[in-house]
Amino acid sequence: MSGPPDPFDRERGGVADTLRRTWERVVTPATPHHRPAPAPGPEPKRAGWTRALGVSLAAFGLWLLLDAPTLQHNAQVSPVGARRTVSLDVLGPIATVSRDLGLSHLVSVGDGLLGRHGNRPGNGQAAPPVTLPKTAPTTTTTTLVLNTHPSATSPLRVLVVGDSLGIDLGDVLVNDLSGTGVVEATLDGQVSTGLTRPDYFNWPAELSVDLPHYAPQLIVVMIGANDAQDLPGPPDVPFGSPAWDATYKSRVSAFMAEATSQGAKVIWVGMPPMQNPGLSVRMAHLNGLVQAVARHFASVDYLESSTLIGTPAGQFTPYLVVNGQEVNVREPDGTHIAPGGAQVLSGAVEQTMRNALHIVL
Amino acid sequence: MLFPTIDFAIFFAVAFVASWLFNPYPTFWKLAIIALSYFFYSWWDWRFVFLLVASTVMAHLGALGASRRERSPRAAKASLVLSLVGLLGLLGYFKYYAFFAVNVDNVLHSLGADRIIPLVQPTLPVAISFFTFMAISYVVDVYRGRIEAARPVDLAVYLCFFPHLIAGPIVRGEELLPQIRRRRDPAEVDFARAAWMIMAGLFKKVVVSSYVSSAIVQPVFSAPHAHSAPEVIFAAWGYAIQIYCDFSGYTDIAIGLALLLGVRFPVNFDSPYTARTLQDFWRRWHITLSRWLRDYLYVPLGGNRGSDVFVIRNIMLTMVLGGLWHGASWTFVIWGTLHGVGQSVGHLRRRRRVARGLPALADGALRSTWQRFWTFQFVCLGWVFFNASSFSNAMAVLGRLFTGWGTASPLITPLLVLTIIGVLEVQFVPPGALERIQRFFSEQRAFVQAGTLALVLLGVTTLGPTGVAPFIYYRF
Repeated sequence: MSGPPDPFDRERGGVADTLRRTWERVVTPATPHHRPAPAPGPEPKRAGWTRALGVSLAAFGLWLLLDAPTLQHNAQVSPVGARRTVSLDVLGPIATVSRDLGLSHLVSVGDGLLGRHGNRPGNGQAAPPVTLPKTAPTTTTTTLVLNTHPSATSPLRVLVVGDSLGIDLGDVLVNDLSGTGVVEATLDGQVSTGLTRPDYFNWPAELSVDLPHYAPQLIVVMIGANDAQDLPGPPDVPFGSPAWDATYKSRVSAFMAEATSQGAKVIWVGMPPMQNPGLSVRMAHLNGLVQAVARHFASVDYLESSTLIGTPAGQFTPYLVVNGQEVNVREPDGTHIAPGGAQVLSGAVEQTMRNALHIVL
Repeated sequence: MLFPTIDFAIFFAVAFVASWLFNPYPTFWKLAIIALSYFFYSWWDWRFVFLLVASTVMAHLGALGASRRERSPRAAKASLVLSLVGLLGLLGYFKYYAFFAVNVDNVLHSLGADRIIPLVQPTLPVAISFFTFMAISYVVDVYRGRIEAARPVDLAVYLCFFPHLIAGPIVRGEELLPQIRRRRDPAEVDFARAAWMIMAGLFKKVVVSSYVSSAIVQPVFSAPHAHSAPEVIFAAWGYAIQIYCDFSGYTDIAIGLALLLGVRFPVNFDSPYTARTLQDFWRRWHITLSRWLRDYLYVPLGGNRGSDVFVIRNIMLTMVLGGLWHGASWTFVIWGTLHGVGQSVGHLRRRRRVARGLPALADGALRSTWQRFWTFQFVCLGWVFFNASSFSNAMAVLGRLFTGWGTASPLITPLLVLTIIGVLEVQFVPPGALERIQRFFSEQRAFVQAGTLALVLLGVTTLGPTGVAPFIYYRF
């Protein structure tokens, strides 16, 4: 009995036929498509490889000239190092020519039409210097009183902010909290950001927009994965030096001051250990600085993640036993947090909300 | 080194010049391509270059043995099997070991037994699924006598040629090896088509895919409880657009780059969302994978020969394993199962219609629209599992379809709706129109071409976000 066309049948006009026709179309590209098309016209004219190279290089050069100011800015906010130095050296003169000729105006107009002049990754503003408070500051306004008995009609407003690891946690946490029916949770995650490079992305500035918009009573923060880098100079300030530590602490302080300025409570989730031992040490160093600053803020609770999704000794592990089941807690890149690990952290944040902040969920 | 980066642009400029300068000297051309491709691959992790070399050696030795099929059939078969075991062993270890170990250990634990499989999490080498499948197709084709065993240097170029190395297309030996062996004509570069493919690919990936992802897909899939049912529907449709623009965008760029080097790849996408049935969808979506599954899995399993039960078994096995090929996760298994069930039902319906003397597929303009609509909805249902981080995440997304009505849907904006409709509509544009544009472009003077390309590039970089997310298929 002859059956219907099979998904993979090569004899009955199935995939094989289609593929054969498709391949023929590539070889003789002007043959009909999947539905009747007009008779094929002449092929596009071929070019010699030197002409193709010349046109491509000219196009690339022209684009470089038009977009040089943007590229130069992107280079400026990239991590300190030889690559950044070379990029700036190359792009500097091109960007100057572009500005002098008024070509960069085209991109500015485009950005303006797209509303891209605000604070966004790659377009931050330098942070003003901040002095670390000597004592726990009292909030200036207390419009955001923590709602410890939230309900569907009077929900608790939670804002989760962070870098890509913060997004890993935030995705799960926002979903879990929203699922309670008594929490309005929002995630503001910005990949590749941190506190080291406000010229790339300015988190306190972002918070100053988020706070009036979402009016959060609780802010969960997980930031730091991109912060183990030198501060751009001149002169460049190497990571871990006393000057670096002082600057970083002032930025953490500025962030916490902004976050608590309207009366919101903050749970700051520390960085977990990393598979790369060197990076792991740097993350532990950052955690120490954040903890030191958090002690100055009565409204900030620090949550250590290294033992939650690491070994009891705080070392990296890709798997943990949770409720008797082996769970993958870290992504294969050895840095990011797998959904299983994010679930563990989300549970710990909820526990902190219940135990430390006495929120009834 | 992602395609849409300055790093790659510089790399490709060097590769392009080197390729054409060495073109008159075939051996040097091959060695240059191997060196460039290994350098390109080492950009992610230089250690995995050894893995690529090991796969090449295994494929070569396997093909050498398999090519002696007429003289010593048993030895040829043993050589084939050994080679496949080696290639699949590498893929299995790097891609599936952790998944296997966790699940087996947890089952043992739930039965009260001790955990016996040590847990390690190997770093997944980029592109391993793609070059393993190409190596397998090569060895099997040699065993079947479809192609002759290639010289080691030809085989190395075939497997590592950088335009297809990372995410396909999964090119056959019979398609690429002849092009590697012969010299390419330096006066016949299909520049207009290549430029079109690269620019279209960049626009799809950098502008459309990124926009749809950040506008609705990522927010809804990350926190389904916080979003309404209409937003969930648009997120599923949006992911259909995102993954199409992402993967077909990558393929377009790969095909364009290869064309600039004088090499042709098969097409990988043929307006998939115009499909009227799931069978039709798989003729149009990731074509080089679906034909691989057909020729190296479905047909050896028995294909469509035999009873309905037997055919459905073959369809299900093929689709489930095809799902698992995408990643070691139950969500991919469910995605493959869904497509297997859908195809099996379609198979039974077609067979019943034919038995009643009707055409296999009902025709007519209204019916076609109806069939396209429901095929697209079914494909989108599958995409929910494909994109979900876990089974519970997928169920949370789908659950909102029942519980998420009556709330606001701020993520559904006119621009989003227009983007989704626009991408779907573009699939119905006859290729003749695109051919005419390419032809018109090819007839322009050099400075007009350069200016046009520069403006398109500027449009892509201005409309796209800062930084480029990795292609979805890189992780496969």
